[in-house]
Amino acid sequence: MQERLGKWLLSWPPLAYLVVFFLLPSLIMMFAAFRYPGDYGGLMPLTSEDPATGKLVLDITLDNWRDYLTLESFVRLVDEPLYIELFIKSLWYATLTTLICIAMGYPLAWLIARSPKKYRDLMLLLVILPFWSNFLIRIYAWMILLGPQSALSKAINLVVTAFGHEPVSLLFTPFAVIVCLVYVHLPFMVLPLYANLEKHDMALLDAAQDLGASAWQRFWKITWPLSLPGVYAGAALVFIPALGMFAVPDIIGGTEGIMIGNLIKQQFLETRDWPFGAVLSIMLTGGVLLMAGLAAAVGRGKQKAKQKHG
Amino acid sequence: MKKLLLSMSLLASSMAFAADELHLYNWNNYLTEATAKRFEQSCKCKLVQDYYGDNEEMLAKLAAGAKGYDIVVPTGFAVQTLIGQKGAAPLDKAQLSNLKNINPGYMGGFFDKANTYSVPYAFTTTVLGYNETQLQKAGVLDKANSWALIFDPAVVSKIKGKVTVLDSQRELMAAALMYLGYPANETDPAKWKQAQQVILKAKPYWAAFNNQSYIKELTVGNAWVSLGYSNDLFQAQQDALKAKRPFKLNFSLQQEGNTLSMDNLVILKDAPRKDLAHKFINFMLDGKNAAELTNEVGAGNPNQAAMPNVKPEITKLSAIFPSKEALPKLQQLQDLNGKQRRELNKLWSEIKLK
Repeated sequence: MQERLGKWLLSWPPLAYLVVFFLLPSLIMMFAAFRYPGDYGGLMPLTSEDPATGKLVLDITLDNWRDYLTLESFVRLVDEPLYIELFIKSLWYATLTTLICIAMGYPLAWLIARSPKKYRDLMLLLVILPFWSNFLIRIYAWMILLGPQSALSKAINLVVTAFGHEPVSLLFTPFAVIVCLVYVHLPFMVLPLYANLEKHDMALLDAAQDLGASAWQRFWKITWPLSLPGVYAGAALVFIPALGMFAVPDIIGGTEGIMIGNLIKQQFLETRDWPFGAVLSIMLTGGVLLMAGLAAAVGRGKQKAKQKHG
Repeated sequence: MKKLLLSMSLLASSMAFAADELHLYNWNNYLTEATAKRFEQSCKCKLVQDYYGDNEEMLAKLAAGAKGYDIVVPTGFAVQTLIGQKGAAPLDKAQLSNLKNINPGYMGGFFDKANTYSVPYAFTTTVLGYNETQLQKAGVLDKANSWALIFDPAVVSKIKGKVTVLDSQRELMAAALMYLGYPANETDPAKWKQAQQVILKAKPYWAAFNNQSYIKELTVGNAWVSLGYSNDLFQAQQDALKAKRPFKLNFSLQQEGNTLSMDNLVILKDAPRKDLAHKFINFMLDGKNAAELTNEVGAGNPNQAAMPNVKPEITKLSAIFPSKEALPKLQQLQDLNGKQRRELNKLWSEIKLK
């Protein structure tokens, strides 16, 4: 009994927090998606002031709700191939970012996990060090690193022109967007991978070696499958924020860097079209949840299959 | 007990102080420090500033229910929106003895014909800023007085990758419309479509849509042409001068016409201190105070009494003080309705994606 009370006391603050700051706003947004935009932005009001009494009156009733609620914003999303294209493009950017983060983060996490204990904390500290300065400042720093006056640009263009091509610019390109997306999200891949790799039992690898497994076989048959939970966690931490990112494409995206996050931001600011912005947000959140659900289902299926074999 | 008394008295004094605070929600860098200090001395109150980067940000924050601000500084079309949302308070002109200083030509804008709610504060024009030295080398300097510099593929191809334009649906569309000879406020979808085509044809030659860093890109010489706001381009020019760059920056109006953004002082309907707000507006209408803004940030000034105090080299810049001949070609953007905003956003998304 006491234990249950303790659990309840510990878990209600985070639960309440999620309900107030995630569930309620999501519900408000879902409702907003079915409403009409207001003349000057915001939403078309459901209430009006009674001129006689000055009191607020609810205008929407069971008979006239069709004048206030609509599927228009959803229809618009599927009517135009444009928005779907933008979703696909953002998915592609986020996937690419995640894959590069795995390719770069895995060796790094492995290196940290296998180094002597006394260096590990320092190395982890170095991985999270960039968080000590503001995200936007770091992106502005990349503007200088990728700018035409930078050593990197000059070195690359030296090679490019040596082969007889026109000099290229790095800044304001999709390349710059991917570079910064990877840079911003890499620590989120390294940390869960490290937490996983650090716990591996070295005896397994020794045993495999004794039985004649090559270095590649030891990695592919033992380390990789054991590290999958870390890979999934890291991939989720990278993929989801990368998908909704708008600041990076805004600052260094050039003329074709736009992502779905920019479109959503436009709906709430320049275009002042909250219902359509809400629809886009729901699609984004829904899409992410769907993919997370699918991934979880696949993972569970594999586990079951394994248990049967075992 | 003593501690309690002390903390209570501290609390009381801070509350008394809070009671004499004016909250100004203003653009970045749109009031000089010296002016702000002098106002605090003259009203014996504290001026608290909060900043925004564009009108939409300010409107969105107010629409989301932000409270406590007394004065905002919206551009013309945003005044229209604020009035439409019933968010603006009517001005008490009896408290604005300096209102006579405003050039009558700038009074009665389309957004508030009788100036019931708004007083013109300062204006910017949206123009092309350019690197004279580089354009001379590329042989296109003679096109700098026309929108052809960024829209005509035959011209802009000579400065490929060195052009930035504002990341603003309204401003870029207006520039393309004026290039085609239409008014900046044209809303005919067919003409919008033409303007979109103009933008799409020129886009491959541009480096970026950029609101944040074009001042820097121009100043260090990475960009040669930027579509931007006159006060920003003034700053870029000053920065390049101070850094003794080996090139000359300039900015000027385009012959087809430009947009003019008149920023206005508006008191909010739920402003806690309307009395202080009126004091501030009257203070800023004083010629000397108004001139300080122009001298420091290069904003255009609707205040006649300010003119004797404005530095003569600034009065010569056509994009900040347009000549009588140029003035009729300057157009203020009007607010679009919801349907038009949706249509424009669709065209804009296509531009961004293609």
